[in-house]
Amino acid sequence: MITRIMSLGRRGCDLLEALGRAGIFVAQSAVGMPSREGLLLWVRQMHFVGVLSLAIVLVSGLFIGMVLALQGYTLLVDFGAEQALGQMVALSLLRELAPVVAALLFAGRAGSALTAEIGLMKATEQLSSMEMIGVDPLRRVVAPRLWAGFVSLPLLTIGFSVVGIYGGYLVGVEWLGVFEGSYWGNMQSSVEFVGDIGNGMIKSLVFAVVVTWIAVFQGYDLIPTSEGISRATTRTVVYSSLAVLGLDFVLTAIMFGGLA
Amino acid sequence: MSDTPFVVVEDLYFSRGDTEIFRGVDLSIQRGKITAIMGPSGSGKTTLLKLIGGQLTPDSGRTLIDGEDIHRQPRRSLFAMRRRMGMLFQSGALFSDLSVFENVAFPLRVHTDLPEAMIRDLVLMKLEAVGLRGARELMPAELSGGMARRVALARAMALDPELILYDEPFVGQDPISMGVLVQLIKRLNEALGLTSIVVSHDIKETLTIADYVYVIADGKVMAHGTPKSLDVDQDPRVSQFVHGEPDGPVPFHYPAADFFTDVLDAGGRR
Repeated sequence: MITRIMSLGRRGCDLLEALGRAGIFVAQSAVGMPSREGLLLWVRQMHFVGVLSLAIVLVSGLFIGMVLALQGYTLLVDFGAEQALGQMVALSLLRELAPVVAALLFAGRAGSALTAEIGLMKATEQLSSMEMIGVDPLRRVVAPRLWAGFVSLPLLTIGFSVVGIYGGYLVGVEWLGVFEGSYWGNMQSSVEFVGDIGNGMIKSLVFAVVVTWIAVFQGYDLIPTSEGISRATTRTVVYSSLAVLGLDFVLTAIMFGGLA
Repeated sequence: MSDTPFVVVEDLYFSRGDTEIFRGVDLSIQRGKITAIMGPSGSGKTTLLKLIGGQLTPDSGRTLIDGEDIHRQPRRSLFAMRRRMGMLFQSGALFSDLSVFENVAFPLRVHTDLPEAMIRDLVLMKLEAVGLRGARELMPAELSGGMARRVALARAMALDPELILYDEPFVGQDPISMGVLVQLIKRLNEALGLTSIVVSHDIKETLTIADYVYVIADGKVMAHGTPKSLDVDQDPRVSQFVHGEPDGPVPFHYPAADFFTDVLDAGGRR
């Protein structure tokens, strides 16, 4: 019994220690003015993290918008309310689906790649050798990747929403014959800029920070063996997904559940 | 140049988890000399280099580099101190996304504002010194182990450091590149007046170039002296190591129960 309590306590301490390490890690790397060199590295990482995730995010956005319209139509048409299709598609996407699904895809596509890349640099002593050359790997390797993640996920989320709404239009208007004017008009009158688009973007920004932080820290903190890298990559995807879904509930409760 | 030692390690204690790696290590590395740190595998030689380079922090004790304690520096001045050192990693640790040329140019680009033409000249000089000027367009993945280590040596020398730390420079080298590396280390040390610390367990090669040798085992300095004095050392442990005898005071076997009892027991099968 005592041993169990002890091991529970030890786990708690380990968890707190890891959280502390992760906090110091992100503070040391992400805070501070970037140099010109740092900006160039950031642009390069924006390409790897953001641009290369564009295809998977946009294609998923298109399909999700199309499915939403199809499901929504069959439901709404029973009540003769198919004119509200545009409103339904847009609100579901902007408030929930775009931030959450884009973050999940981002964790799988870019997060795991970040963990593996940094982990491999650690395993092959590239980070150590950078330190010995007198270059701080936190500033040179970690910071550009963190900032690339922070910026690119909200942008990808916007792309996801736009393409998703267009997917809904393709199915709803072009295929199922909802009146085009009501699709766009209802959407325009019901979507609020701050309440819906703004809150969705805040969600997306929070997810961007959490997912990139987890991915980069897992890579930096892993045990430098092949098994260590594979475990850390898995952890990145699992932890990020759980964090995104959990935080989404909390944020939704605050934003739309009347808790605030 | 003064006569005070360049690197001083005093009463160093370091442990990893529950394992004690160093229990009171004292070293004194003279300027302009090649000092070898030798010892059996797993005795913590690489860890010692990382402690000297400030990549690990000891539990207690001091490590002075030119009079300054490297473990008591704020992050910024720690990185400034490291610019005066070069380290050759066992694996070479070249940046895999940069070509040979860019790897050697890396320290110059981040620490100096030299014009491109001068960087090019300097890089070509360093690569010429290690005999790989012709390989400058290759990527690290295209190099053999020995070549990678020579490129890493050129990169470690790029900023003309005062101290170079070599981590097992001879491991896994064929006789030719081994000879090349031995000569390079010796020649660079003489030509540039560097202070070198070579961590190695390749006794023959290391003893031919070292001016002074420390042998560490069991977390302590077991013996130290010039290569000649170690060769005739009477301590059985030193003698076993220096002459490469397979069994002796340093046992061949990892601690285990008696062999026959172990075999007969067979996991309770009897």
